[in-house]
Amino acid sequence: MGDRMKVFRELYQYRELLKNNIKKEIRGKYKGSWLGILWTFLNPLLMLAVYAFVFPYILRVNVENYTIFMIVALIPWNFFTTAIQSGTGCVVANGNILKKVYFPREIIPISITFSQLVNFLITCVIMFVFILVSGVGFSYHLLLMPLLILIQAVLTLAITFILSALTVFVRDIDHFVSVFLTLAFYGTPIVYQASMLPAKFQWILQFNPMAQLVEAYRAILYYHEMPDFRMLWIWGIISVVALIGGYKIFKKLEKSFVEEF
Amino acid sequence: MEKNIAIKVTNVTKTFKLYYDKANTLKEKILFFSKSSRAKNDILTVLKDINLTIHKGESIALIGTNGSGKSTLLKLMTKIIYPNKGKITTHGKLTSLLELGAGFHDDFTGRENIYFNASIFGLTKKEIDAKIDEIIAFSELGEFIDNPVRTYSSGMYMRLAFSVAINVQAEILLIDEILAVGDQHFQEKCFDKLMELKKAGKTIVIVTHSMDQVKKFCDRAVWLYQGEIRKDGAVDEVLEEYLRVCG
Repeated sequence: MGDRMKVFRELYQYRELLKNNIKKEIRGKYKGSWLGILWTFLNPLLMLAVYAFVFPYILRVNVENYTIFMIVALIPWNFFTTAIQSGTGCVVANGNILKKVYFPREIIPISITFSQLVNFLITCVIMFVFILVSGVGFSYHLLLMPLLILIQAVLTLAITFILSALTVFVRDIDHFVSVFLTLAFYGTPIVYQASMLPAKFQWILQFNPMAQLVEAYRAILYYHEMPDFRMLWIWGIISVVALIGGYKIFKKLEKSFVEEF
Repeated sequence: MEKNIAIKVTNVTKTFKLYYDKANTLKEKILFFSKSSRAKNDILTVLKDINLTIHKGESIALIGTNGSGKSTLLKLMTKIIYPNKGKITTHGKLTSLLELGAGFHDDFTGRENIYFNASIFGLTKKEIDAKIDEIIAFSELGEFIDNPVRTYSSGMYMRLAFSVAINVQAEILLIDEILAVGDQHFQEKCFDKLMELKKAGKTIVIVTHSMDQVKKFCDRAVWLYQGEIRKDGAVDEVLEEYLRVCG
């Protein structure tokens, strides 16, 4: 118990570092570019424009308001994929500073997940504008959104802990992850409806936590109905267990980080 | 546990694996599996079963020739690396001046970097706010403090970094080769500041090759020789023997 409290006490002690890192991550990314922080909005917006333009023509999805159908899944997916992508190499990228000074190492992956979470919340504003303007509108189901975000953040942080620590020892993981994420994009019902996936592939959706989350976002934001709570419970619990396990793995491996740089 | 102990090193052994050509990618790991397992047999023992107790308020110098394990011991104390065997416990807030300017971000101003750098040492916003004027004054950067760090000369950069590190109110300071920062005037100022911290009862551990500094500053010297403590005691005694053997 004392040990567990120590974890939080140390993180609390270093809260200013955590805050600064998150700020640096958000602001530093676009520092020097003309449009600066505006890119946080523009990036997903432009990507959305491309997808909204391309996919209705190649995929025959018969849904009303395809743009909204897609956006409510794409924006949460984007949070996941950018957080995992930048999280995988985050410890390696900070190798220089790890060599120089001690601070709780877990601050690095935590600040990546949090900065991406902040970015996600900002882009949610765009998403809400789209939902309003398109006439899809909101229902009381929106109140469930914080729960979905929480599960997703816990899951993302868990994966980031594990991948960022392992990447220090096997640098290839970075490349596998990018390929895997591209693949997972198609294994998640973002640009298509879950029911469109052939029966023999349906199991993928069951074992893909992001598929379950994306479906839940879509249920509350697009269909205005209750999400599949059974699945949310299952993945919620798995995510928490993974977070604890991931943290332990990270703490175990962190002792030899510096010798690998 | 004794109350007045600042750092306790018990039976610490540290080894490094020697890689001639380190396999970092999966391909190399598989291809050179047999080779790398051979390379791993080359293990360098940097510290052998070190025992050392440093009391609060002591100023200690770690001396020894290159490769004797001084810097490794210092890094172990800061928890940048961990021992293979044994244990190191520290009591009180610890700051290392091993590498200055950790976390400096070139595009941000000197003032912003003070916040970044001090937060790495575990200070909160409030604590930094209270210290910032003192830090800026100590660095003698004046109005340059609001310019981006990339516009600084290397001397200015180090002055800023040193000012932060020395003003973070640590109980224990670990210093590797001090006083190589800035011009003569700034070096003297740093030395005075360290004297002030020493008088205030801080624990200071220094790695240095400058016997002058050891004599002027420390009360105790620990001589490391090939990963073992060869002599530990009052500065005069240790230095005398050290100079006789190595000089």
